[in-house]
Amino acid sequence: MMDHILSNIIFLPLFMAVILGIFRAPLAYLKAGALFSSIATLFLVLFLTYNFNPESGMQFTQHSKWIQNAGISYFVGVDYLSLVILLLITLLMPPLYIYMYHEKRKGYWYNMMVLQTGITGAVLSLDLILFYLFWETMLLPIFIMIGKYGNGMRQYNSMKIVLMTVLGSMSMLFSILYLGYVYFDTVGMWSFALDDLATLVFNAKTSIWLTAGFLLAFAIKIPLVGFHTWMAPAYGSAPTPAVVIMSAIMAKLGIYGIWRFGYGLFETTLTYYAPTIITLALIGLIYYAVRAITEDNLRKMFAYSSGSHLSLIALGIFLTNEYAWSGSLYFIATHAIASTGIFLMIGITYKRFRTVQISSLGGIAQRAPKFTFFFAFFALSIAGLPGTGGFVAELLIIIGAFKANFWIGVLTATTMLSAMLYIFWMLQRTLFGKANNDCEYPDLTLREIIMLLPLVVILLATGIVPSLFTPMFEPQLNATLQEVITLIGEMR
Amino acid sequence: MIEQFILAFPMAIVVIGAFVLMLLSHSKRFNLDRLNLVAVFFLSISFIMQYFALGGNSTPFLFENIFAQSFILDDFAIIFDLMFTAGAILTLLINNDYFKSRHYFNGEYFALILFSVFGMMMLSHAHELLTAFIALEIASLSVYTLVGYHKNNKVSSEAMMKYMVLGSLTGAFFMLGTAIIYGAVGSTSLNEIALYVVNRNLEDMSLLIVGASLIMVTIMFKIGAVPFHSWVVDVYHGAPYPITMFMASTFKIAIFAISLRLYIVNFAPINNFWTEMLQAITILTLLGGSWLAISQTLVKRMLAGSSIVHSGYLLIAISSIGLGSELAAPAIMFYLIAYFLSAAGSFGILSFIASQSQKQMRYEDFKGFANRRPYMALMMSIFMLSLAGFPSTIGFLGKFYIFTSAIESGQILLAGLGILTAFISVYYYFKLIAMMYFYPSQDSQKKFPIDISTILIAMMALLVIWGGIGSSLIPFVPSPDGFIDIAKQAITSLR
Repeated sequence: MMDHILSNIIFLPLFMAVILGIFRAPLAYLKAGALFSSIATLFLVLFLTYNFNPESGMQFTQHSKWIQNAGISYFVGVDYLSLVILLLITLLMPPLYIYMYHEKRKGYWYNMMVLQTGITGAVLSLDLILFYLFWETMLLPIFIMIGKYGNGMRQYNSMKIVLMTVLGSMSMLFSILYLGYVYFDTVGMWSFALDDLATLVFNAKTSIWLTAGFLLAFAIKIPLVGFHTWMAPAYGSAPTPAVVIMSAIMAKLGIYGIWRFGYGLFETTLTYYAPTIITLALIGLIYYAVRAITEDNLRKMFAYSSGSHLSLIALGIFLTNEYAWSGSLYFIATHAIASTGIFLMIGITYKRFRTVQISSLGGIAQRAPKFTFFFAFFALSIAGLPGTGGFVAELLIIIGAFKANFWIGVLTATTMLSAMLYIFWMLQRTLFGKANNDCEYPDLTLREIIMLLPLVVILLATGIVPSLFTPMFEPQLNATLQEVITLIGEMR
Repeated sequence: MIEQFILAFPMAIVVIGAFVLMLLSHSKRFNLDRLNLVAVFFLSISFIMQYFALGGNSTPFLFENIFAQSFILDDFAIIFDLMFTAGAILTLLINNDYFKSRHYFNGEYFALILFSVFGMMMLSHAHELLTAFIALEIASLSVYTLVGYHKNNKVSSEAMMKYMVLGSLTGAFFMLGTAIIYGAVGSTSLNEIALYVVNRNLEDMSLLIVGASLIMVTIMFKIGAVPFHSWVVDVYHGAPYPITMFMASTFKIAIFAISLRLYIVNFAPINNFWTEMLQAITILTLLGGSWLAISQTLVKRMLAGSSIVHSGYLLIAISSIGLGSELAAPAIMFYLIAYFLSAAGSFGILSFIASQSQKQMRYEDFKGFANRRPYMALMMSIFMLSLAGFPSTIGFLGKFYIFTSAIESGQILLAGLGILTAFISVYYYFKLIAMMYFYPSQDSQKKFPIDISTILIAMMALLVIWGGIGSSLIPFVPSPDGFIDIAKQAITSLR
């Protein structure tokens, strides 16, 4: 059981999708199958977390031969970092399926299952080609979901996100292939396993180019400012479940990539890029916040807000001190939960009003108090309301930034202020004031409350008792950080 | 003597089949269906015999007393023969509906396919330049005729003229090159040439190099490398779908049979001489092909343009061979198998659609295709992903081997350019997927027709996936490792 538990977690949803597809399952079975696969993986992951040993590094590894001639192996494993994202994706899938309850288009369900396999695979794989495979695979369902089930200029926008992401992943592929070749050159056999490649030593120039290949892919995925042109259109066009996945998980995978492969392979070279990326992240923080203030479309507004917060996380992982690092990891988790909540609320808004323009909403509070509560809660937790996890995480990153450099600290602190600004202003215009339309506005149903309640609980728990979660990742995080610091020194 | 006949039998049966078909085609009792079956029957016998001949350790020459060392029977040739016969069988079976839907197909058509397969088989076995030339012309002449088969159609006739005039012209270069090499070496046998090359310095061989370069012109023309590409898109467009499929998947591979034999074995010591030239051609081919493929509105023409790009990837590996990469030669073989599967599959689907209507297929005509024919659309997407080199398909591993071989031989920038064109290709392949899936359809869903052609296409789609992610779990079905082992086996048998 424990030997193959990771493979089970990865392939269960895909397996379910294939089985359902072969038997051309009717819609009811399809829904049940999808929900079952998500809940089964959730139990597997919880079981894994229970058996997870926070004191040791890579666990539950499975390393089998695959394409031997090319040195590609099937190599998966989980450590503190992948466990956090793994927990997130499996926790978010059941609420998403509950949200999709009324969805009649079958392709939607299949795509979600394939998407889950792609993302968990990418998070757990430790062989670079395997990682690349999952990294690309998770793009396909997003491509189909935006293009087929989206709205607005969906065809154009889905093509745009695919092309930009593929440009990044192709550059990453180039670096991966070169790494494999260097390993072949020094050792005499092919391998793409991360721990094999980590033993390699490069000269400075090669290393800079190779790192650039990886960073381009991750910068587009996050997206850092300058690589972000796909973001707002894609978020605007995508259907709600796809938006949730993109904002909550896929953007985080860019951060995860830098963390895993950047710090795993090129610790020293990252310092070469650190000033550039920190600058980009700081610009992004402020630029995205300004765009969020001026944006009228709710989806796009939170897309920019998400960009702003992801810039903060990207900044955090380049500041190598323990506050910034644990803050970043904590923020990955809490921001994922909070943005899932808010994008689900926006989805619900769209279902009822057929619009997500702030200017055409208003006066919701009088008519739908439950809706107002959840909406305001998630929006405020995005803004970093004390008592929610986001506050703890942001505070940690800001302290880390001040520790590194006073001015970076000052600029970073603006994100809390600007977030408060656009969130409160948005709340004021949507929830309160005069109603701009006179359609009937039903309050949240029981199903919707069941779907949202776990998210609220998790957010509050992470905010009020962080000590419940930190032991899970802190020891290894600090150990990794110490290794990095001995190599490149603390960020100043 | 009897042994020799047995060895020659797989080749002979194809040409016998061609003559038999010519005779049968005049009989009233044989309609297209039956003729098709007869052709497939002969090809299958050849395929099965070759399959069992594979893996023999000895590499005898055929009828050494009569033909001297003109024909060689090594694993390399046999593997190519397997691909030719398989390609022809697939072409015939998948397009059966198409043949019946067009009035201009008659019995000679099948004979011509068999003749061209015979020419290709001869080409892969040829161990002497004149034999190679004759084989190339047998194959080419049949293909010229096939391209212009719809003789009342202007586009088809134009394509045939264009192809034939240009092809014959470049065929003359092959002849000239052979003559010059004969002048230098005193023989056209590949063994003699290899001996000559090994024993001399580069400076003393200028005549031979001129000859070999002229031969290269013909090869570049046949694979459609820029700047010898002007015929490709028009000819692929003008030819009936089955012929386009046959040319793209099978005939193109045949050219690589002879060029690999020449440039891996015979001209190996002087391969460095061509490196810069080849690299320039490769860059032009990759960029020009991408340009052509992007700017098309007809899907058939897009696939034609993209086939130029695929030639470009193969050229990257050919110049890697010259720079001493061990991986490059098996990489070419693997890529050919991968391209063969994906191209044959995608053209097969196009021809299936074309057999139902007389329309030309623009991108727009694919709007809503996924609603009308979900399974077909799925398979088409798989082939497109494989052609684009998307991971989890065999096309990705093909590109993987090509690019690693390029990096291994130090052609980093060329590998980078290859990856860039692979990125561009994502645009025009995904555009088709987008057309199929992202637009609603007015027509209702049609039933998936289960007959031999659709089953074959589905099997190819499965093989494309299995070739990308499979392991050697299932016996008799080659996995990624199995394919590259076959490729390596072919290359080792050359030396």
